[in-house]
Amino acid sequence: MDDVFERRLPKPEELNAMTEESLKAAFAGESQAAEKYLVFAEQAEEEGYAHIAKLFRAISFAETRHARNHLRVLGGVGTTAENLAAAFGGESFEVDEMYPAYREIAKLQGNAQASHSFRYAVKAEMDHRRMYSDALAEVVAGRDIAEAPVSVCLICGHTVIGELPGKCPVCAAAKEYYRTF
Amino acid sequence: MADAFKNTPPAPEDKGAMTAENIAAALAGESQASQKYLAFGDVADAEGYPNVARLFRAVAYAESTHARNHLSVLGGVGTTAENLKAAWGGETFEITEMYPAYDAVAKLQENKSAQTSIRYALTAEKDHQGIYDGTLKGVEGNKDLGAQPVRVCPICGHTVIGDAPDECPVCGTAAVYFKEF
Repeated sequence: MDDVFERRLPKPEELNAMTEESLKAAFAGESQAAEKYLVFAEQAEEEGYAHIAKLFRAISFAETRHARNHLRVLGGVGTTAENLAAAFGGESFEVDEMYPAYREIAKLQGNAQASHSFRYAVKAEMDHRRMYSDALAEVVAGRDIAEAPVSVCLICGHTVIGELPGKCPVCAAAKEYYRTF
Repeated sequence: MADAFKNTPPAPEDKGAMTAENIAAALAGESQASQKYLAFGDVADAEGYPNVARLFRAVAYAESTHARNHLSVLGGVGTTAENLKAAWGGETFEITEMYPAYDAVAKLQENKSAQTSIRYALTAEKDHQGIYDGTLKGVEGNKDLGAQPVRVCPICGHTVIGDAPDECPVCGTAAVYFKEF
């Protein structure tokens, strides 16, 4: 980001506990709004409302700006090495604790679709954890990671660096359903 | 999209209360992870790690697919008319309840950056509320939105339909930096 931006962006500061709690809740709210609007955009497109789809995507981007601003004030944006370590920690929590507990309860309650959604997520989080760990090792040594494409299954979020599989190993979607970055 | 694809994403279902709570928590977690990774991607670019930046953006997209799946299981995706109503309701809550309350606490505690971040968001949510309201009226008459561009300030999220002002009326950022959809 250049200086023009840097000057106007809200900066990290010492926060009192109640304000910190407010900002965390606001960050959670903005993040969910941004994601919902992306899904609503797809729905609008299916119904033939191309310009409403565009509107949802634009407003989703606006909520992304708010989420980033709140996260900055909370001190949640560090150096890339710090960010990779934080990302690794978040994925590890989801893989080791959160999703196994949620899946167990969904099974107990016979909620097959919830179980399905949790399984897709936990499988991908395992990939992410490994990728973040590898990337952190490079960045700590002062190096970028290799230039290989990173592809994501648009059904289940399965993430792969390099060559695509014939079909998604998690949800069996054909490889045309991967988005490559 | 092919049928094979259509059948794969998790669908809405009746859920036990604990599972409903967990899937809502997972939606919140995935949404926040996605937003964090987008912010981390910008930092990685600024530090000269373009491939790490790309990895963050790809994984952010994977978390978006999980958020969408969880939202679908929660029954949170309706028709475009329903989605616009839900979006309007969310913005209205933020304008009339959430941000005024958070702003009052941040002022009481003299947390200046927090106030800035809250003000940026609150001001933009008012734009969004008005835009969603007008758009919903169109959809109720089966009309799409007009073809004009939607422009968003990359600093504060100020959102305008049509021409951008010379500079952002909320944060002073020049119009050339606005992102156009």
